[in-house]
Amino acid sequence: MSALLQVENVTMRFGGLVALNNVSFSVARGGVLAIIGPNGAGKSTLFNVITGVYRPTSGRVTFDGAEITGRPSYQVVQRGIARTFQSSRLFSDLSVLDNVIIGMHTRTKTGVLGALFAPAASRREMAACVDRAEALLKLGSGDLFEQRYRLAGTLAQADRRRLEIARALASQPKLLLLDEPSVGMDETETDALIADIVRLRATDPNLSVILIEHDMRVVEAFPGHVMCIDYGSRIAEGDFAAVRADPHVQEAYLGKAAAHA
Amino acid sequence: MTMSVSSPTPGKGAAGLFTVVSQLCGAAYLYLLLKAAEAWQVVALLALLGLGFYLLEKRASISDYALDSFARVPVLAVATAAIIVLAFPFVVGSNTYILHLLIVAQLYSVLALALNFQLGSANIPNFATGASYGIGAYVSALLAINFGLSFWLTLPIAALAATLFGFIIGIPSMRARDTYLALVTIAFGVVVQQLLNNFTWTGGPNGLVGIPAPSLFGHSFADPLFVFGWKLPSQANFYYLAAALVVVAIVTAHRLHGSRIGLAWNALRADEIAAKAQGINVAWFKVLAFAVDAFLAAFAGTIYAFYVSYISPDNFTFLVSVTIMTMVIVGGMDNIFGVIAGAFLLTILPEKLRAFEDYRLLVFGVVIIGFLMIRPQGLFPQRMRRYGGKP
Repeated sequence: MSALLQVENVTMRFGGLVALNNVSFSVARGGVLAIIGPNGAGKSTLFNVITGVYRPTSGRVTFDGAEITGRPSYQVVQRGIARTFQSSRLFSDLSVLDNVIIGMHTRTKTGVLGALFAPAASRREMAACVDRAEALLKLGSGDLFEQRYRLAGTLAQADRRRLEIARALASQPKLLLLDEPSVGMDETETDALIADIVRLRATDPNLSVILIEHDMRVVEAFPGHVMCIDYGSRIAEGDFAAVRADPHVQEAYLGKAAAHA
Repeated sequence: MTMSVSSPTPGKGAAGLFTVVSQLCGAAYLYLLLKAAEAWQVVALLALLGLGFYLLEKRASISDYALDSFARVPVLAVATAAIIVLAFPFVVGSNTYILHLLIVAQLYSVLALALNFQLGSANIPNFATGASYGIGAYVSALLAINFGLSFWLTLPIAALAATLFGFIIGIPSMRARDTYLALVTIAFGVVVQQLLNNFTWTGGPNGLVGIPAPSLFGHSFADPLFVFGWKLPSQANFYYLAAALVVVAIVTAHRLHGSRIGLAWNALRADEIAAKAQGINVAWFKVLAFAVDAFLAAFAGTIYAFYVSYISPDNFTFLVSVTIMTMVIVGGMDNIFGVIAGAFLLTILPEKLRAFEDYRLLVFGVVIIGFLMIRPQGLFPQRMRRYGGKP
């Protein structure tokens, strides 16, 4: 099967700093890729390049058969890539429900004239959004549905992460980019998060996921395809066991953890 | 569905009674404020208002009860409001000064609602609403004077011209943000005013005179209005016209707020990067906010021009834009009712407190700073969208 996402020789320079150095990889349709690497290795920069926040200095990004290098973020979402942010970026002065509905922006189409002169259609569209948003909030672990009329800014940390994922799923993505989804979660919550991702893939076998993770428990749960980045370069790729055994990886990042393992 | 015990839903009878009585109280308050002649009366009324807001602040259940009541009997609520608005000129009688204040307050309500799309919904500072207002007024006045077009024809043309202007000043908003964008809009406002002052075909500093009164079904708006044997002064024509425009502005604001457009504006207000990541074309939605603002402001400008029949660049200064901005901030960002309340208060109070006339800009400055420090959400804060559910 052809790759859903193909990243070829991507380099990203900020002045003299090379944040990404000739990185290539691909993700299969329905596959999960876990990206690991020390802080500042360029993992989030990679997400920003894929989603069009940055235009890479050189290289190509191809998604679902079309080149998306440097396309603006909103077009990338339209094509089916949704993401969460490392430091959760919720719309904190809006309700949990509104946050998810905004995630459906690319899947709804009422314009100014439609909202003004065809209010019935606009209301129907919103009502459908509310139904779908409520279903999404019920889907994951935690009790986000019960909290749907809370301001997103007042949520507990684990719920913020869950809401970010629900909002990303609202755009019906083909590829979901999760930037350290387990940050701020305790062990039970992390287990629930892993179960959530497993369930998502079971319901939609075509959904591809790229995970940036520091928590090896999460990476271990998706051991098929792991990539390690250090100083902007890919230093290892393969299954979890192989990457963990790689001397470069141990040197860069897993050294102590591997010694204990 | 389980209902929480803490906030009881009002019964239909109680809700109906509350809806009617509260609106009548509001109308009575407005009437007293308009009639107040002595400074102490105004101060006493303001103290009463302050007390009301203190109670609202202390007991959140009051505003919940009020909103639940209005939601319970929406038809009755709207009907009561309509009757109050229609009957108000009869209560005021032949007092043309009060009618004039009401017309100006209603036009400012429309302008404040227009600016609210940007400042309230999307947090875009725009100091050029006064310029859009002026463009609407000048375009319609020029068309009426030079080409004899009727008021009803100039209305949409002026709105389209101003919308075009809105798109043009919206373009810098793609690049500039916050303070810098504020500066750009201030510059646009000043440029428009200077152009109006210096072109000969706009009448220069003398402005345009002799804008003909509109007429409808043979009834000239310059003539007194006869209703069921009652005679209302000619201002009543414009009062009802302005009221109709306020209704249009409210419906526009309500529909946009409740659609995905309003949500997209709110999203980019909260976090632009996150908004882009949801697929929102941030630049386009900012420009759109400018266009909608200019469109509504031009309607207000057209009615103003035909009402006073004389316009000059002095009517559309930077001060006008600041005034509109103050109304939005004081009334409550992204709250339709709040914005209108802000517009009425800030139109009527300066008239009642003439002693401060020379310090108007200073007073507005102090009011804005005071509100941003003490009550940044305004008198009536933004409400969460409920989608028929109960929080």
